[in-house]
Amino acid sequence: MSPLIAKRTIAVALPSVVVLLLLAIGAIAYQSITSHGPTQRKIVSLDKQEDWQAFGGTWQYADDVMSNISDERGAKLMTGPEHWANYSVEADVLLLGQYGDAGLIIRASDEEQGVDAYHGYMAGLRDLDNTLMMGRADYGWREYAAQSVFPHVSAQQWYHLKFLAFDCDFAVSATAQNGPTTTIAIRDPGCIKSGRFGLKSYNTGAQWRNVEIAPATQRDLASMIGNIQPQLAVPRELPTGSEPAPHDRYLEPIERDLQAHSSGVNAKSIGSLRLLSPDVPSSATVQGVVTLTSPMLYIQDSTGGLAVSSSHPHAPLQIGDEAEVRGDVYLHDFSSEIRNADIHLLWSHTPVSPVAVTASQAATGAFDGQYVEVQGRLAEKNEDGNGTGMLTLEDESQSFLAVVNGLGRSPNLNSLKVKSKLRLRGICVTDSRYTHDLTAFALLLPSSGDIEVLEGPPWWSPDHIVELVIRIFLLPFAGMTGFFFVERWRIQAVLDERQRLAHEMHDTLAQSFAGLGFQLQAVRDDLTDGIDIMPQLEQAQDMVRNSHEEARRSISALRPEHLESVGLLSALEECARRMVSTNSSVKIKTASSGNIQNIPLRVSDTLLRIGQEAIANAIRHAHCSQLTITLDYEKSAVEMIVEDDGVGFAVSSDSAGFGIRGMHKRAENITAQFRIDSVPGQGTAVRVLAPLPPSFLRTQSHRWLTRLQLRKIHGKRNRV
Amino acid sequence: MIIRQRNSRWIGRIPLCPLSMLFVSLLLLVSLSAVGCKRTPSTVAVIARTSGTALWEPEHAGAAAEARSVGLNLYWNVPMRDHDTQAQISLIEKSVDRGMAGIIVSPIESLPMRTPIRQVLARGVPVVVIDTELGIPTGPKLSCVLNDEIVGGQIAARRIGLILEGKGNIAIVGIGPQLQSNTVRERSFETTLSHEFPEIHVVARRLGLASVPEEQHIAEELLAGSQSLGAIAALSLASTRGTYYALVEFDKVRTIKLVGFDQDLIPPLRDGGIDSVVVQNTFEMGRIAMELMNREIHGTAGSSQVNVEPVLMTRENVDSAEIRKILNLSWWYPQ
Repeated sequence: MSPLIAKRTIAVALPSVVVLLLLAIGAIAYQSITSHGPTQRKIVSLDKQEDWQAFGGTWQYADDVMSNISDERGAKLMTGPEHWANYSVEADVLLLGQYGDAGLIIRASDEEQGVDAYHGYMAGLRDLDNTLMMGRADYGWREYAAQSVFPHVSAQQWYHLKFLAFDCDFAVSATAQNGPTTTIAIRDPGCIKSGRFGLKSYNTGAQWRNVEIAPATQRDLASMIGNIQPQLAVPRELPTGSEPAPHDRYLEPIERDLQAHSSGVNAKSIGSLRLLSPDVPSSATVQGVVTLTSPMLYIQDSTGGLAVSSSHPHAPLQIGDEAEVRGDVYLHDFSSEIRNADIHLLWSHTPVSPVAVTASQAATGAFDGQYVEVQGRLAEKNEDGNGTGMLTLEDESQSFLAVVNGLGRSPNLNSLKVKSKLRLRGICVTDSRYTHDLTAFALLLPSSGDIEVLEGPPWWSPDHIVELVIRIFLLPFAGMTGFFFVERWRIQAVLDERQRLAHEMHDTLAQSFAGLGFQLQAVRDDLTDGIDIMPQLEQAQDMVRNSHEEARRSISALRPEHLESVGLLSALEECARRMVSTNSSVKIKTASSGNIQNIPLRVSDTLLRIGQEAIANAIRHAHCSQLTITLDYEKSAVEMIVEDDGVGFAVSSDSAGFGIRGMHKRAENITAQFRIDSVPGQGTAVRVLAPLPPSFLRTQSHRWLTRLQLRKIHGKRNRV
Repeated sequence: MIIRQRNSRWIGRIPLCPLSMLFVSLLLLVSLSAVGCKRTPSTVAVIARTSGTALWEPEHAGAAAEARSVGLNLYWNVPMRDHDTQAQISLIEKSVDRGMAGIIVSPIESLPMRTPIRQVLARGVPVVVIDTELGIPTGPKLSCVLNDEIVGGQIAARRIGLILEGKGNIAIVGIGPQLQSNTVRERSFETTLSHEFPEIHVVARRLGLASVPEEQHIAEELLAGSQSLGAIAALSLASTRGTYYALVEFDKVRTIKLVGFDQDLIPPLRDGGIDSVVVQNTFEMGRIAMELMNREIHGTAGSSQVNVEPVLMTRENVDSAEIRKILNLSWWYPQ
C-alpha cells in the first residue's frame, strides 16, 4: 500500500473509531451515573399522567389522590426508569373495598395487562387475612412473607407504606394512622436487580397519595428494619392450600363475606320508572350495578340505567358494586334520575359488560344511562380548564361527544389523532349537560382506558400529500446527483490510471524508442557509404521515429491534467502541431465561438480523443493544406469541428474503419451526435455535438475536480 | 509491479466515507452478535381462566413442571376479571402476534372461543384446550385435555346417594349452559342419580351465574322456599361457595349436605360445612397439555383428546398425598 493511501485510510478510519469510542464511553458513563436510582428524595407528581403507564384498572386523579375505582385483579400504574436499582418508594394507601389488596411495586419490568403480568416485587395490605404481605411476580405470584397488621386491615382507612430495595434485600413497612408499624424484610438471592416502580391493586379499588421516592443505602435499610433479620425469600403456600391451618384464620374471612344486606322487596326495574307520572312527584327503590362513579353516579339493571345523585353520606362505590338506591324520581325528556338518594351497597364484583351499538342506535335514546360500546371517527378533541377531555366523533350520519373525565392530560388522549377510528365504552347519556344540545347523545367514559384506537387516520392527508410530492421530486434528484458524483469518481479513477500509464510509458517506452533511434543513428553514422543495408536502416529509423511519435501522442492523450491545464482547444492544437512534421506546410487554425463554458472532464476528454483521431486521419490520409479546429459553445451543448481541405472521401458504412467506429462509440458514450461530412475532392469535416449538464452542476464538479487535481499536483511536487 | 500499483491506486480512489465505514462496522457487529447469540427455547402461552385459586393455579404448576422438563418457556397470563371472555380472547390474540409457539387455553366460555381458536389454528399455531370442549372437532394442531365430566357427575351422584342413603330430595344449582363441560357434568349427574338412586328426587334446579354473591342470593332464595332438602349439588365453583355461604347464613350446614364441584374452599371441608367436592386434577391436565404441546411443536403428534378423571375430596382424604399433589400451587418449583 502506498504511503498516500495509507495516510488517507488512517485519516478516515481514525475519526470513525474515535466517534465509536466516545459513544461507548458516554453510554458507560451514563449507565454508571444513572444505574443506582434517584439522586435525591422527591415527591412523585401524580397529576402528570403522561409520566404514568396504566395496565388495567380505571385510574383517576383528583385532589392530589390517584384512585383506581375498578376491582380488576392486578391493575397497575407504572412509572420511572428501568435502570433504577437501590431506592425506596412510599405512599399513603387506602383500600376502597374488601377482599382484595393494594400497595406498591418496585423493580418492575416487562409489564402487561394481566393478573401478575410483570417481573418485579410487590408489597401491600390485604384485608382478607389482615396482613402486610410482600412477594415477587414473574407472570405468576410467589408470596414471600405476610405479617399480621394490628388490629386489622380495614377498607376506607389510610395506611402509610414504605417499600425499599437495596441490593437483594427488600423491606416494607405499614403504619396505620396513630397505629403501630408493621415491618417485613426478606433477602432474595436471585433477585431482580433493577426496575421501575408503581401502584397496584388486586380485587378491589384503592387510592394513593403522597407518593415519594428516594435513594436507598445500606444505612436506610438498617434504620428501616432495625433488629429484624431479612428472612430468606421462600414462597409461601396460598391460603387455599391443602396444608392444615388454624381454624379461625380461614373461617374468619369467609364469615365476613356473609355480611348479607337484604335487598328491597319493593325494588322497581329501572326501565319501569318511565311509566311513573311526570306530574306527581314520586319516590322509588331500584337495584342495579354501578357503571360509573364520576362525574356522575350511574347504575344499571337489565332494563336500563339511570343517574343517581345523593347528598347523604354513603360508602364509596366502585364500578361493579350492586347497590340499592331509594330516592326521588325525576323524569327528563329522554332519561330518568334519582335525587336525594339513599344508597345501600349490596355486594361487589358484579361488573356489567357493555352492549355494542351503532351511533345511530344510541342516538335513538333507547340506551340512555346504559353502558355501551360505540365506534366513531374522531373529528375534534378539546380540553377544558379542569383537565376534562372532550372528543367529538362521527359515525355515518351521527355525531356524538365523549367526555373523558379528569384525564384531559392523559397520554392516551394526547396521542389520539384526528380522523382515527375509535371504539369507546362508556355510559350513553342524553343529558343536555353533556350533549350541550348539539348531539343526540354523549358518552361518559370511566377512564381513558376505555378508548381503543381501531385505525389510525387515513394516510392521504394534505401534509402527507405534500411530503409525497416533495419526495417524488427530491429522491430522483438526489439519486441523479449521487449517480453523477459516483460517475465522476469512476472517471477520475480511470483518468488517474491513464495518467499513471502515461508516465510509465513515458519513462520506459518512449525513452526506449528514443534510445533505439539514437543507436540506429549511431550505426548508420558508423557505416561507410556503399553498404546496401542503408535503406533498411533508414526504414528502421523511420519506424522508430513514427513509433516514438505515436507513443508521445498516446501519452499525451492519457494525461488529463494536461487537458485541464491548457483547455480543450489548446490541447487539440498542440496535438495537431505535434503530428504535423516540421517540414510540413499544413496550417493549423483554431477558433471558438459562443460563451466559453466549463466542459465536464468526461466530455472534454472524449472530445479530445475524437479530435486527436480526426486530426491524425486528416494529416495521414487527407493530404490537406489546412486543418481547422473549431469549438462552438451553445447554451447547453458544445460542438467540436475538425475540418480539412484535403481529398475527402465517400462516406458510407463500408468506409467506416476502426478509427471512425471508435470515434462513433466514444461519442455515443457521452450521448453526443457524431457526423462526418465529406465529399471526394472537397475535404472532410468531423463534427461532434455534445450536450452539457446544467451549469451549476458543471461548476460544482469542475471546482471539485480542480481541487482534486491541484492537490495531486501539489502532492507530487512536495514529494519531489 | 505495475498490476500491484494499479490495484492500490484503484483502491485509493474508492471514496472512504466515514459514514460508510461506521455502517460497515455496525453491520459487522450485528452479524457477529447474531452469530454469537444462543438459540432461545420456544415459548408456549398458557391462558387460564383465573389464577391464585386452588382450581387453576395447579394447572400453572403442572404446565410449568412439564415445560421445565422438556426445555420450553412458559408464558402464563389470565384475564384481570373473572368471566371476562373478551379479555381472554385478547390475550390469546396477543400471544399469537408475539410469535408464541403454541397456545394452551382454558376457555371461560365455549361458544365465543370457537372463532378465535379457529383463527389461531389457521395461522399454523397449535392449540391445546383444557377443561371444556369447544364443539369444534379436534384436528391437526388442535388437542383437548378434558376433565372427565361424565365420571365427575357419576362420582357426585354416588356421593349424594351415599350420604342420603338412597332417598330424599335434592336441589341442583349452578347449571351453566355457557360451558360445554358443565352441561356434560349435569347430565351425567342426573342420569346416574335417576338410574342408581331412583328414590332421590331433584325438586329444584337453578341456573348458575357469574359471581359468588349472585350464587349466594340464588341459594338463599332456594333455602327460603318451602321444599325440604336433604342435599344440594352445586355444579360449579361459584355455586359451591355461594351455596355454602347461604347454608351458613341460614344455619343449615348440618341439616343440608352440600356436594360441590371444583376445588376452592378447604377449611369448610374439614369442619363439615361442605360434605365433599369433586376436584379436577388440573395439575395433571396442565402437565399433559404441555406434553401434547411439546410433541406438536416437534411435529411428532397429531391431535388427540385426553380425559383426566376427577377425584372426590372429603374430610377424610383432604390431606392425602394424592390430594396434596392435585392442589400443588408451586409453579416455581421443579417437581
